[in-house]
Amino acid sequence: MNSYIDILFWIRQKKWLLIALVYGMLMHHFVTPPPDLNPAAFDALIIISMALILIVTEPLPLPAIAMFMLFMQVVLGIDTANNVASSFMNDAVFFIMGSLMLAVAIVSQGLDKRLALGIITLTGHKTWRIVAGFTAISAILASFIGEHTVAAMMMPVGLTLVRYAHKDPRKVAGLTAALLFSIAYGATIGSIGTPSGGGRNVIMMNYWAEFGAGSVTYLEWIKYVYPMVLFQIPFTVFILLWTFKPEQSNLDSAVRKLVVDVARAGKIKGREWLAIILFFLVFLGWVFLSEAFGLGIIALLGVFLYLSFGLVEWQELNRKTNWGVILLFGAAISIGIQMNQTGAAEWIAHVIITNLGKVIDSPAILQGSVSVLLTGVMSNILSSSATVAVVGPIVLDLGGDQILIGFATAIASAFGYFTAVAAPACTIIYSSGLVKSKDFLRAGWKMGVLSLVSLLGLSLLWWPLL
Amino acid sequence: MTKKKVPFDPKSLKFLTAVSSAEYSKPTLKMGALIASVFDASHGVVYVGERASEFHGSSVNLTRQNLDNWNIIHPGLEVLEWALQELKKLSPENEELAKIQFNPDHVYEEDGRVRVMLPDDKGCRIELVLREGELVDQLRKEIQLEGYDLAIIGGSQNKRHLAHSILQYLPSSIFVLQKFNPRKKYKLLLLVDDSIATIKSIEWGALIAEKLGWPVRTLTVSKTKRFGAGYQGAADKAKAYFDSRGIEVEQFFLTGDPVRTFVEFAGDNHFVIMGASTLNPVKQFLFGSKPIKTLEQTDVPILIVR
Repeated sequence: MNSYIDILFWIRQKKWLLIALVYGMLMHHFVTPPPDLNPAAFDALIIISMALILIVTEPLPLPAIAMFMLFMQVVLGIDTANNVASSFMNDAVFFIMGSLMLAVAIVSQGLDKRLALGIITLTGHKTWRIVAGFTAISAILASFIGEHTVAAMMMPVGLTLVRYAHKDPRKVAGLTAALLFSIAYGATIGSIGTPSGGGRNVIMMNYWAEFGAGSVTYLEWIKYVYPMVLFQIPFTVFILLWTFKPEQSNLDSAVRKLVVDVARAGKIKGREWLAIILFFLVFLGWVFLSEAFGLGIIALLGVFLYLSFGLVEWQELNRKTNWGVILLFGAAISIGIQMNQTGAAEWIAHVIITNLGKVIDSPAILQGSVSVLLTGVMSNILSSSATVAVVGPIVLDLGGDQILIGFATAIASAFGYFTAVAAPACTIIYSSGLVKSKDFLRAGWKMGVLSLVSLLGLSLLWWPLL
Repeated sequence: MTKKKVPFDPKSLKFLTAVSSAEYSKPTLKMGALIASVFDASHGVVYVGERASEFHGSSVNLTRQNLDNWNIIHPGLEVLEWALQELKKLSPENEELAKIQFNPDHVYEEDGRVRVMLPDDKGCRIELVLREGELVDQLRKEIQLEGYDLAIIGGSQNKRHLAHSILQYLPSSIFVLQKFNPRKKYKLLLLVDDSIATIKSIEWGALIAEKLGWPVRTLTVSKTKRFGAGYQGAADKAKAYFDSRGIEVEQFFLTGDPVRTFVEFAGDNHFVIMGASTLNPVKQFLFGSKPIKTLEQTDVPILIVR
């Protein structure tokens, strides 16, 4: 009796795994590939669609999904084991691995207290100025060190202010939401600013190289994209204050208590200076040496330095680094490369252009709108980096300027304002239990419109000048 | 592994109350504490929070560890702290319980859950546990791990569509507090038929009636006008059992569709107790069962005894 229940419960928990497997078997054995699609490309599409089902519904841990994507390429005969292994590891995966480790190393230094003091000194006590300060600092820092690192450092500052403002944060729901969303949305809009702002940017750079589209340096990326970051900051502040309407216009007492709190940390210590200097060196390496060495290698060099100087223990890095995500991106990029090599990406791009070309005359508008909308929608369901890993090969085959299409895709992958799952910063503020899913929708649609208009302006007014 | 227990061995029963927030779970926790004291059972309180997407799980954990440095505790631990304070208020005479102090730093991660260590617990038999993930999955794991005999779940957590999963997969008796009002005077309604589970539900019902002083009714429903020897015998046995314990009982025999009749009779002023289904699990999965359908259709508190 109990074993029946165990089996039924397993089926309940793993139903999406079973659905994915049945779907895959049916597609492989009973569906004939379209005449213009070769069998290997068809199989690559089956694997990627099965993986998408598994990633969205999570019936398996991420590393298991990664392994599935890898062994299926060999089992279905798409490529040899050695070729799959070599496509699995590349500089983008090194970068994701390095940036996750750097996040642990930086957050563990306790620099957030210095940051809190710095922001308060800049903004003063008025709520709107603090929201503006949080948004701007989160955006600028996230553009260099990644949104997950910034959100992890800023969250305690935001929550401490909220708790000092009122014993029960639910009684100041507007203030709470304004402060927490200024961290999340600030970090999200900033994450597009430089290649090191997010793993998805580096994945796109990797695809440019794979597709022979040319290369973009760290500074060139900044030149193309940073104006959009700066443009969005004041409008984001306005949207947050308009949407959430903080209950208190002045956080005088809360700020004073926060200052007393952080002042206990004392003067900045030598080890904290060293942590800042090392990150600055990594940053300089990304700016000036990434073309020669790759962003990932420089990130790993940074981790090596943090370990060498004893600023972080390996055990801590090992425990706090999400190895599952690293494996998954390695596998996703590997299948992305297969989509390119087998012609699957080109086939999907061709189908999209053939069908939507009847509705939209201009190829440039078609390519732009497909890449932005497809990426924007998918990033709200999946996650931003996974979206670029999956959608990247397709949009680069849509035609037009692959670099500009790639920029538009990487930027649109940051439009994950509507749900808590899209961006790490959004998941982090949601985990506080103080903001609700509907808050993401309330502010998210306004942010979505802002970002779409900003991207349109950037592509029509700024990029032609470069 | 589920630990087997002898029913009503006073110190061996283990009850688990699932709480979601201070705002919504007060009646659930109050009833949980009351029922646990009625049975002299040890009492576990579990908070099941949402699990972050695996993509960002490590970033969330990194943030939480950083929040610890700022003395900001995990929102789930806040709920457990509130639960402990509520339990103290509910039992002001319990001096041992009053001594227990909540310390968010004293937590222990094991078996995919976080357990709050209560170093001053001298025989109060309180457990505070934090879990993250899907509600039914996490409750099932907790019940299996600790061998709980009864799971107490608030109506807000029931969400009707979960009724099937809760009754089919949780390996303990289940008490769902739908629209439970602690100030209301309920009548105990025992649904009696010839199943084995009825016997145990009568024992539980008698104990609750004795301790809470609620009037007792038994209801036996037959699909036809004829009540077979099995049904009549079960009703007689139930009455005899209550009589033997000095509890007055009103008996009702009605004809019709069992589930619809239970639901209509229960109205909004009964506290329903019924035995779990003895149907084959596959049949229950495909077609449901009387307890599942009753839970889906009624709005009153319902205890399903396994």
